[in-house]
Amino acid sequence: MTAYFVRRLARALTTLFGTTFIVFLLVRVVPADPAVSIAGPKADPETLARIRRDLGLDDPVLVQYGRYVAAVARGDLGQSYVTGRRVTDVILDRLPATALLGLTSLGIGFLAGLVAGLLTAARRGSRTDWAVLVASLVGLSLPTFWVGNVLIYAFGYRLAVLPLGGYGTVRHLVLPAATLALGVFLLYARFVHTNVAGTLASDYVRTARAKGAGPVRIYVRHALRNALIPIVTLLGLDVAALMSGVVLTETVFNWPGLGRLAVQAVFSLDVPVLAGTVLFSAALVLACNLAVDLLYGVIDPRVQRG
Amino acid sequence: MGDRRRSQRLLAVGLVLVGLLTIVAVAAPWLTPYDPSAIVVAEYRGPEPPGPAHPLGTDTLGRDVWARLAFGARTSLVVGALAMAMSLVIGVTIGLVAGYFGGWVDAALMWVVDLVLTMPTLLLLIVLATVLPPSLLTIPLVIGVVGWTTFARTVRGEVLSLRERDYLVAARALGASHGRILVRHLLPGVLPGVIALAALGMSGAIGLDAGLSYLGLGVPLPTPSWGRMVSEVQTYFGVAPWLVVLPGVAISLGVIGFNLVGHALIDLLGDRRA
Repeated sequence: MTAYFVRRLARALTTLFGTTFIVFLLVRVVPADPAVSIAGPKADPETLARIRRDLGLDDPVLVQYGRYVAAVARGDLGQSYVTGRRVTDVILDRLPATALLGLTSLGIGFLAGLVAGLLTAARRGSRTDWAVLVASLVGLSLPTFWVGNVLIYAFGYRLAVLPLGGYGTVRHLVLPAATLALGVFLLYARFVHTNVAGTLASDYVRTARAKGAGPVRIYVRHALRNALIPIVTLLGLDVAALMSGVVLTETVFNWPGLGRLAVQAVFSLDVPVLAGTVLFSAALVLACNLAVDLLYGVIDPRVQRG
Repeated sequence: MGDRRRSQRLLAVGLVLVGLLTIVAVAAPWLTPYDPSAIVVAEYRGPEPPGPAHPLGTDTLGRDVWARLAFGARTSLVVGALAMAMSLVIGVTIGLVAGYFGGWVDAALMWVVDLVLTMPTLLLLIVLATVLPPSLLTIPLVIGVVGWTTFARTVRGEVLSLRERDYLVAARALGASHGRILVRHLLPGVLPGVIALAALGMSGAIGLDAGLSYLGLGVPLPTPSWGRMVSEVQTYFGVAPWLVVLPGVAISLGVIGFNLVGHALIDLLGDRRA
């Protein structure tokens, strides 16, 4: 178990190191002179030169990269060009909103999908399978930002029961969470359906049934437990995909989270904030994948040897 | 099995959607008398609902919505196809090389795949779209550079299973060069599986392009794009709901069409091989 975990951890760390390189490269080529961004377009050349020297922009690229990695390792992601605040603080300010939105929609979508998948798996057969597949293919093809807008129109404007956007109360959370949860729900409903229906049709479930095991025992002990491994894997992979949905949903609903922060940073060319957000999100994804790998080892002892 | 017929039906529906979209995109100038960027109302009195002169109404600037949708299909398909081609070339090359050479080459390339998979796609796209000046060529480039990992993984897997086949062992024994084996012997073997992935890649690229242009980072004005059509008019949803609904339906149909084709092909090709 320990060896397995150490191997996974080492891989996650090397990947994180790789992401710092990609982010650093992107930051280097973003066509905005940091000195101009900080001092404004009317600054005289001497001021600009001084800022460049202070930021170390005249040093060789490798030296700059080394300095960047060292700073990131200390948790220092630089300072915003626009507000001058520490990027780490800016991100931590925005994190709760994104965590609230992301976890709510992931939780609700996952549980609803699990239940729907289990219920439809009980009635498996070509007709049900077909309905689940088509509903999920069609539903997952709807653009997130559009679903958000349609929900705003229906519940915020027509029925006028929920706020059009913003942040603060549970009522504000309902529509953005529903927008994001829809995709999660459809994905898991189909995935759970396919996997559980598959295990229910397998030989060992037939054996268990022949030995007189009741339907609940078959579902919980046999079908669900075995289907859990691929489901948990998908959960880990899904975090990266969820981030894309978060960026769009936060923009649609004016939700003050990390996604909106990144989009705002693009338009103000606030490179450190943008780079910090990307790096932070990648680290988040890696942490989730690592957690899933661990969980994986607990659920299925076989993987440790792999 | 009914599964096969089911897949064939999905494929048929998908192909019809994709076909219709392609026809609209190609024939756009003949399907509408209007310029998608021109103001076509004589006197602007707010967006006009669908009527005889403008089958899908006019937008918040007095432009013809049907013309914008039809020309928007061009943008979506061109961006989608170029992005998918880009992913395909990168992904197939990396998959072939990783699977064929194995060892540390494979390990290094798969590490890169992991790396790209870890980066949150849309955030990475946003950064890239900021770095490169957005155009009809850079947007597909950006989407393509992010979307090749599935191709690489699948092709690598296929190559691993083909590598020990007799005809490859024979080719190697005859002294064929690595390049010749890769291009003449392995590439044809992996291509059928790649076609299904290409359809899925198209679907993903159209969706991502819509997302980018919704955020204002897509193909620049005056080229009409479906994603921006939604963001341009969303504050008018209350007065002119069709302006928001229609481009969303167009994006969905495009994504669904290619998605169905891809899924059906994976099922059908999988059947054949089994």
